[in-house]
Amino acid sequence: MDVRLPRLGEGADSGVVATIFVKEGDTVKKDQPILELESEKAVASIPTPVAGTITNIYVKEGDEIKVGALIFSVAESGAQPQRVEPVIVEEPVEAQPEPVQPPPAPLAPPSGAGVPGIPPPASPSIRRIARELGIDLTRVRGSEKGGRIVMADLRNYIARLQAIAFQQAPPGPQPAAPAAMKPAPVSIDFSKWGRVEKKKMSQLRKAISTKMVESWTTIPHVTQFENADITEVLALRKKFQKAYEKKNANLTLTPFLLKAVVATLKKHPLFNASIDEVTEEIVFKNYYHIGIAVDTEQGLLVPVIRDVDKKSLLELALELQQLADRTRQRKVALEEMQGGTFTISNQGGIGGAHFTPIINRPEVAILGVGRGAVQPVIHGKKLVQRTVLPLGLSYDHRLIDGANAARFITDLVAALQSFQAADVNL
Amino acid sequence: MKSIKTEIVVVGSGPGGYAAAFYAADRGKKVIMVEKDDRLGGVCLNVGCIPSKAYLHAAKLIEEAKDSEHRGISFGVPSLDLDRMRAWKNGIVGKLAGGVASLARNRGVDVMYGRGYFEDSTTLRVETKQGQRFVTYDHAIIATGSRAAMPPAFDLGNKRIMTSTEALELEEIPRNLLVVGGGYIGMELGTVYATLGSSIVLVEALDTILTGSDPDLIRPVVKRAEQAFKEIRLKAKVLKMATHKQQIKVTMEHDGKEVEELYDRVLVAVGRTPNSAELGLENTRVQTDERGFVKVNDQLQTDDPYIFAIGDVAGGVLLAHKASKEARIAVDAIFGEHSSAEDIIIPAVVFTDPEVAWAGLTEAEAKQRNLAVEVAKFPWSASGRALTFDRPDGMTKLVIDPATERILGVGMVGAHAGELIAEGVLAIEMSATVRDLAETIHAHPTLSETLMEAAHAYYGDATHIYSPKKRHAGNGGTET
Repeated sequence: MDVRLPRLGEGADSGVVATIFVKEGDTVKKDQPILELESEKAVASIPTPVAGTITNIYVKEGDEIKVGALIFSVAESGAQPQRVEPVIVEEPVEAQPEPVQPPPAPLAPPSGAGVPGIPPPASPSIRRIARELGIDLTRVRGSEKGGRIVMADLRNYIARLQAIAFQQAPPGPQPAAPAAMKPAPVSIDFSKWGRVEKKKMSQLRKAISTKMVESWTTIPHVTQFENADITEVLALRKKFQKAYEKKNANLTLTPFLLKAVVATLKKHPLFNASIDEVTEEIVFKNYYHIGIAVDTEQGLLVPVIRDVDKKSLLELALELQQLADRTRQRKVALEEMQGGTFTISNQGGIGGAHFTPIINRPEVAILGVGRGAVQPVIHGKKLVQRTVLPLGLSYDHRLIDGANAARFITDLVAALQSFQAADVNL
Repeated sequence: MKSIKTEIVVVGSGPGGYAAAFYAADRGKKVIMVEKDDRLGGVCLNVGCIPSKAYLHAAKLIEEAKDSEHRGISFGVPSLDLDRMRAWKNGIVGKLAGGVASLARNRGVDVMYGRGYFEDSTTLRVETKQGQRFVTYDHAIIATGSRAAMPPAFDLGNKRIMTSTEALELEEIPRNLLVVGGGYIGMELGTVYATLGSSIVLVEALDTILTGSDPDLIRPVVKRAEQAFKEIRLKAKVLKMATHKQQIKVTMEHDGKEVEELYDRVLVAVGRTPNSAELGLENTRVQTDERGFVKVNDQLQTDDPYIFAIGDVAGGVLLAHKASKEARIAVDAIFGEHSSAEDIIIPAVVFTDPEVAWAGLTEAEAKQRNLAVEVAKFPWSASGRALTFDRPDGMTKLVIDPATERILGVGMVGAHAGELIAEGVLAIEMSATVRDLAETIHAHPTLSETLMEAAHAYYGDATHIYSPKKRHAGNGGTET
């Protein structure tokens, strides 16, 4: 049966095809919408007047069509038991040893089965799991009596989703298996080229590895470099070091960095925020918990100093010291490494200049600090010796733009360069 | 003043509040439960479901005794000792309230007696007898419930005009009692007082009693109440009440006429008001609707992310078991789980004589929403079990989606319908089909068989009723 565009109503005799819901070969029920037509007045869906199989669609999305135009043909079911073979478009496959999986069946649209406005048939436990996984049960076909959805149906649905997700991945030379998403690890025999020793990766090393990959692959990183003149800070440090020592505190550069960072974060709250990827909200935090990267024998750990904005330089110096000690002894609790809002990685004690730190997810920025070096600097019109600190600020470009970062690092440098004796004096 | 820190504070200790407090404590949270009265348990336990069911049991005994003459048993006229009856009721209530207190103690839930008042989104001030306490918390759950509404026009300060709370005190058995309101509270308490000897006139503004349930489920209740009560007046409206010596003079409009009558007592049962005022909610971001119910999302979270609200105060149907379920949904949500109150089936039970119970989609609702459903019924006059105690005035029905044969709703009227509805709730929650129910053995002779027989009736092959027209394909394709 050929179906032509029916009259749409007063004054509407043409429209633009907005969406086509079916493709040739699809089986359709009577009154199932075939396409959506946009006219000046409204969007109308055009149903098929009979049940059957769509044999031809004569229009494509974007076409303007007039009343009476041929839009599709449908072979009525029941007339003759005719089975339309699904058309499988095979991509050219080159010498693949594995059998190619048949393409998964397309997902059902939200099912119209059952009574509209009545939730899909599934027990409370299945509904709970679906909520947890974010699965819309109206799209899941139930296999039990009355279309009841059971665990096996959910499993099948997830498997199908995965297959479809894989199918939509860019075509490439990967084998047709889920592993194609990530090349399978290959073991290389390094002993071919010389003597080797092997050692198991520690749990911590594996955790660091996973975390770094996660951050590096999910966050678009940009690193902004800058130098800060810390000659004055070092002078202050030297002046007050003894006084701090009397209180058992070792006044290093890091407490100054903490203070300067928090002052700058207060001006730029975006750098103290996180992205809630589920709700697509920006979460601004009204607290300043700064992570400090600590180099331990086993590897990198990042304990967090809480409420840095409420602590004095002396308190920070004391806490930093004992936190670093406890971290090196692996005595920090997991909780002490959570809840950070920004991280500082200070490698100044070891050496090296600028580097590009990796963001400590779900934070959105990290400051990498290199070793301060005495350099000739033009100060006024004179060439003078100053100590210059290399800074690298990596940030999450999803949330933070380059201009934000430039402003942030400029303010950070200004904060580092403006410490006064009164700020340090006990 | 130094504040007390806790993870969760629950305001109210009814079936919503204590369920939330206990569940949160069982899951490892530090919980404080705040109760404004001296006793835990809330309305349901102290002045609601529990005491009314105790009295209804007493009323039933009297009725049964009276009805036993034709069975060859005569008891004579019962003698009533109201003081002992009240003491018996208080004993039950006391035992349950004490049970709640000791369950709280065992779980380490701190109970604080006093009115709670929100100072801000994370601080609750509690007015205890020992003075003010400030509780700061990570999350608060408001479970303050509701109270019987008393329209200002009826509020004369005369103790002869009662709400359900006073009626349950059973001070005396008035000769004439006017019950205003034909909802479940008016019907249940009207039944109690009628059996104890009061002459009852019940007035209802709408054209039916027990609105919300299907008319065919109400019919047996009306029939019985018409015998037990002196009169049921529908579409009648009380205009005025005034104290007149030892009585109440009531002016009402009925049948287009204004009538003036004297009653010894009046029971006002015209709905319930949420306890949301005087909680300091204006100091938080919590929003309420025009009737005072706290607005919540499907996880029972209010507009203030730190505060949840459950049970009567959060609106919807005002039923204890709804509050208890919401308690768990809210606590799960606090734990970051994907709990939801969407699509939960909340059974409704009215403890009239006979009882009415329903769950899921009602026939009336299906009609109103234009849903294509089919209904299968089984009359209790065909139930052997019902006949053994002379109560054939019952009916069980299923509301069915014919496309999938899924059971969408169950309704019942009859003795013990309140107990029987549980199977219906499970069937709906599990998305059972009529076939599932039909093929499940139900013990004989029990009233539960009526559910199975209603399922058989859908296929036109119920054993104990004969339907000449077979409607749906039964076993072995006996369709004609």
